[in-house]
Amino acid sequence: MGYSLEVQQRFHSPQRVGEFAAGTPGLVTGEAEDRTLNVWVRVQVQVVGTVIRSVRYRVFGCPHMLAAAGWVAEALQGRESHTMRELDVHEMREILDAPVEKLGKLLVLEDALQACWQAHFVSAQAQKGS
Amino acid sequence: MTKRTIYLDYAATTPVDPAVAAAMRECLEPDGNFANPSSSHSAGQRALGRVEEARAQIAARVSAPADTIWFTSGATESDNLAIQGAMLAHRDQGRHLITSRTEHKAVLDTAAAMEKQGFEVTYLVCDSDGLIAPEQVAAAIKDDTTLVSIMHVNNETGVVQDITAIGECCRSRAVLLHVDAAQSIGKVPVPLDQWAADLVALTAHKVYGPKGIGALYVRPGTKLAPLMYGGAQERGVRPGTLATHQIVGMGQAYELADTDREAPVLAAMRDRLWAGLSAIDGVRLNGHPTQRSPHVLNLVFPGVDGESLRLGIAEIAVSAGAACNATAPEASHVLSALGLSDTLAGSSQRFSVGRFTEPAEIDYTIERVTAEVARLRELAGGAPAWCTN
Repeated sequence: MGYSLEVQQRFHSPQRVGEFAAGTPGLVTGEAEDRTLNVWVRVQVQVVGTVIRSVRYRVFGCPHMLAAAGWVAEALQGRESHTMRELDVHEMREILDAPVEKLGKLLVLEDALQACWQAHFVSAQAQKGS
Repeated sequence: MTKRTIYLDYAATTPVDPAVAAAMRECLEPDGNFANPSSSHSAGQRALGRVEEARAQIAARVSAPADTIWFTSGATESDNLAIQGAMLAHRDQGRHLITSRTEHKAVLDTAAAMEKQGFEVTYLVCDSDGLIAPEQVAAAIKDDTTLVSIMHVNNETGVVQDITAIGECCRSRAVLLHVDAAQSIGKVPVPLDQWAADLVALTAHKVYGPKGIGALYVRPGTKLAPLMYGGAQERGVRPGTLATHQIVGMGQAYELADTDREAPVLAAMRDRLWAGLSAIDGVRLNGHPTQRSPHVLNLVFPGVDGESLRLGIAEIAVSAGAACNATAPEASHVLSALGLSDTLAGSSQRFSVGRFTEPAEIDYTIERVTAEVARLRELAGGAPAWCTN
């Protein structure tokens, strides 16, 4: 299988891999998997106020999935928190030049971000209530 | 291919040996033996002489009479001709075919096609080492069984089946035996004078010969229905102008494929690779630890996606243990038959060494695979247990 330069670069030199230190303020975690596609991803997002300050991830999967996780982590940094739920998987697929057959795997990343958003939303609501 | 590419995919195909290429070239150019071997003029007869010489070289390598070797386009065609040809020729006597779940697609897809034509197929299941017990074959044979098709060396795991014992089971029940021996030549002896095999598929491109040429050993008296029509070549069962240069190349390749000389060298390379890679945490061998060909090492690296590992070591040409496609991680039917989960099948890699493999290439591969497995596992730190079992 051929891989775009974008995928190769992100695969060979991944950025933002790992976890935040325990107790990091504003931290939310989302995790998703699809065992039939052999894909798992965990994303940690640090939100300060309404802005995403930084992102970390761990991922098991194919090169496109690894590259996609890195691309998302970079793309989210500095954006408003609601962008967690607005990932355009099709746009990401085009940027990575991933074959359409990989779309199912990339959607797992969307699921992880949705889980982050849910966690952030619950946390924000709790803070408003307290 | 760049000089920096390390080729460890000899089970997929091999480069043509320079001596083979030279022999082929002599049959292509105007002053060479390019004529049609079926032509009656002297040039044609000289070409025919080269064809028959090659037939004898191939026959000698497998300890068979020359007139039992029939040329085809490769092992896939040989498998098709053997299975379809035998089943169709004997359809009035029996319509039952026995094969195994770990066969090459050339056999499995042909068997499936026979099922669509109303034939019955029994698929034997191997043990966790990839072996089919002769007793399984004996138990599956019925009164209307026509043919048993079992491969010799598995193309994914290198596991070697006991064809001698399986052949005895078949012979004692008057059932034909077809053997796909595409991976065997030059690695494992193929003593057709000792096997009770009636049909054996052979190929050139796995043994430093050209692609597009193969042969089918046909035991004298074995009836085969032709799959093509259009000439009297190869007894009218496989018509078409004989490709002299391809045939001569295959003959030369088989002449060079000295198992006694090459197999120990291949085994040493394979064992050197295994000795290095076995230090990786959790790595396991797929297939029987000793009853296997010297050129194949199929390993599972738990917690590592196979496609990612292959890209990570892109300068090393290896194949998936699983038959991957981009749509889904379709598990290898062979590794699934051994009991591996889809995830572990997808975490498997086949390394296969060959005539031109150097010890330094093995050492470099050990270093690179070890590093890449560690890197990918680090990326997937904290992944759930299903990713590793």
